[in-house]
Amino acid sequence: MQNTLTCRQAVRLMLEDEDQELPPEDRVALQVHVRICFACARFVGQLNFMRRSARAWRKHCES
Amino acid sequence: MPNFALQVETLRPQLLRFARTQLRNDAWAEDAVSESVVAALERPGAFAGQSQLKSWLIGILKHKLVDQLRRNTREATLLVGDDGEDLDDALFLPDGHWREPPTDWGDPDAACCRREFFDVLQACCDHLPPVQARVFMMREWLELESVEICGELAITPNNLFVLLHRARLRLRECLQARWFDGQAGG
Repeated sequence: MQNTLTCRQAVRLMLEDEDQELPPEDRVALQVHVRICFACARFVGQLNFMRRSARAWRKHCES
Repeated sequence: MPNFALQVETLRPQLLRFARTQLRNDAWAEDAVSESVVAALERPGAFAGQSQLKSWLIGILKHKLVDQLRRNTREATLLVGDDGEDLDDALFLPDGHWREPPTDWGDPDAACCRREFFDVLQACCDHLPPVQARVFMMREWLELESVEICGELAITPNNLFVLLHRARLRLRECLQARWFDGQAGG
């Protein structure tokens, strides 16, 4: 099994995922990692929040 | 149509704020706003009144902002190496584990849409190294695709990835320090 990402590698993939489609094998490895790593799961949540809040901020400034 | 011109002029300061946030360069921002105002006044008929005047003007402004970025590409490219810190090393141990796991942000959305939060977000963006801020805003505000940003700034996809990677890590750190740490226990 190639599913042994370190947290550092997982974070790199998560950040890459914000801006471009990940290759399927990376996506799977990331999903496996996040399921078993609470710290990285938290980081995913923080990235998602940052994306939502940037959008809300833009809307706020546009209206 | 003097009334239309007056309404457009009234919105100029808000347009300028939007442009400055995006471009972080007053001269470019002034140019982009002036071009937008001229374009708007040249074809008042194009504003059908179906949306708010400000939204319509922002739509025009976004195109002018991209024009400015394209025109000033050379400067942007020179600045690609404007951040020497290795942010990953600061976050991770040599074996790839977190030095300190991310803290719990609780229910961040509860506060997210408050004015004070946007002020913090703006301050955090203002503190990014200039090119990181620019590509982050191109992505999030101008909603450009990665390929478009690379084309406009004449940088490689890998350059762009490094810049956005750093920008997001820095923003997260800044929000942690300026917003979430302050919320702890309250």
